[in-house]
Amino acid sequence: MGQLFQIGGSVIAILALAFACARLGLGKDVRIASEAEAMRLAREALCGFEPVDLVLDRAGIGALLRDAQGRVMLLRRHGAHFAARLLDNHADARLDRNFLTLGTGEARFGQITLDLGEKAQSWASSLRHLGGGASA
Amino acid sequence: MPDFNPVDYAVPGFVLLVLLEMLWARARAPDTYEPGDTLTSLAMGLGSTVAGVLSAGLITAMFYGLYPFRVVTIGWQWWAWTLCFVLDDLAYYWFHRCAHRVRWIWASHVNHHSSQHYNLSTALRQTWTGTIALGFIFRLPLVLIGFHPVMIFFCGGINLIYQFWFHTEAIKKMPRWFEAVMNTPSHHRVHHATNPVYLDRNYAGVFIVWDRMFGTFQGELDGTRIHYGIVKQLGSFNLLWVAFHEWTGIARDVWHAPWGAKLGYIWRPPGWSHDASRDTSDTIRERWLALRGEAPAE
Repeated sequence: MGQLFQIGGSVIAILALAFACARLGLGKDVRIASEAEAMRLAREALCGFEPVDLVLDRAGIGALLRDAQGRVMLLRRHGAHFAARLLDNHADARLDRNFLTLGTGEARFGQITLDLGEKAQSWASSLRHLGGGASA
Repeated sequence: MPDFNPVDYAVPGFVLLVLLEMLWARARAPDTYEPGDTLTSLAMGLGSTVAGVLSAGLITAMFYGLYPFRVVTIGWQWWAWTLCFVLDDLAYYWFHRCAHRVRWIWASHVNHHSSQHYNLSTALRQTWTGTIALGFIFRLPLVLIGFHPVMIFFCGGINLIYQFWFHTEAIKKMPRWFEAVMNTPSHHRVHHATNPVYLDRNYAGVFIVWDRMFGTFQGELDGTRIHYGIVKQLGSFNLLWVAFHEWTGIARDVWHAPWGAKLGYIWRPPGWSHDASRDTSDTIRERWLALRGEAPAE
């Protein structure tokens, strides 16, 4: 009984703290503001990844970067930070005019649709060398 | 003879301090917290408490089952409490070091590291699968030496409470003498960092001297921006995924691995693969040193 009371109290405390966190305006609406910032995030995500080409989502919620070895990294927003994955195929890639939808094969990482403007087409094409699909 | 868990009495203090740190964050560093991340961390803490209740009987039975085989009977003298606390912290150091170097234990401990934030709610982001990971084994030698299980559980509780306060960016450095002996926010920020220079460093619970003794100490460097989390960030606040993702990874790897490599995916370091296609902390550090033009330390 005591343990149930303790767990019930903990649930209330957790919800109260999460509510307080939101009400206090903590966390921020993070965006990639520049190519330099995208390159820094990529280097932090994978030691030795040195971007030679990149494209930013026009709202700054993600980016695609390529290094000299031809590896392609997807950066996407996660909470108040960014998470990265190297793309190993283009099976989940879908192009719709300026919008390129990308997946990583990881259900929990999810898909993201990037507004890449006029670069969307060329990046979609360039992902084909990764193999794994025919729909980009 | 105390038979209570000191952590139970500390929980209201934890809640109050998290709230105070949020107020500090609002004034000084709003990105220290993020609601989704905080909710995930706190829910992990609650789940860990429930898992602890469910497994407490088994652990307690094991400790009491071994106690009759103790080498000596140490008793309840004041120095025994002190000695037990210090040795329990040493046991914690080795548990923690193995938790980062053996994937089976890491699968449990990774829960605590999977937040990209570093705040007091991260301290409560605890595992649900600690018993499965067999972390309690590291405390069994204390029973065999002759410390009473109640004393060990009490000291372990105090150790856990101590480890709460230093999960913060609100405190930069403690006095020099304190930094030399005790684990501090600065030392533990290093531990939670994914910067190559910081990987697999500062395993201490209470006394940082263990890291200094066993060669795993790394001080916090001025001018180095810390990024927190794990080398492959989860990118998800899904509670079940946070709790079980590495166990899922182990199962998948063992299933697909050649017969001779299957066990390697269980007991070798996180990131190990039989074809060397993935990164471990060691390979990341070596690559980082190579990029800087330095030879890896032996």
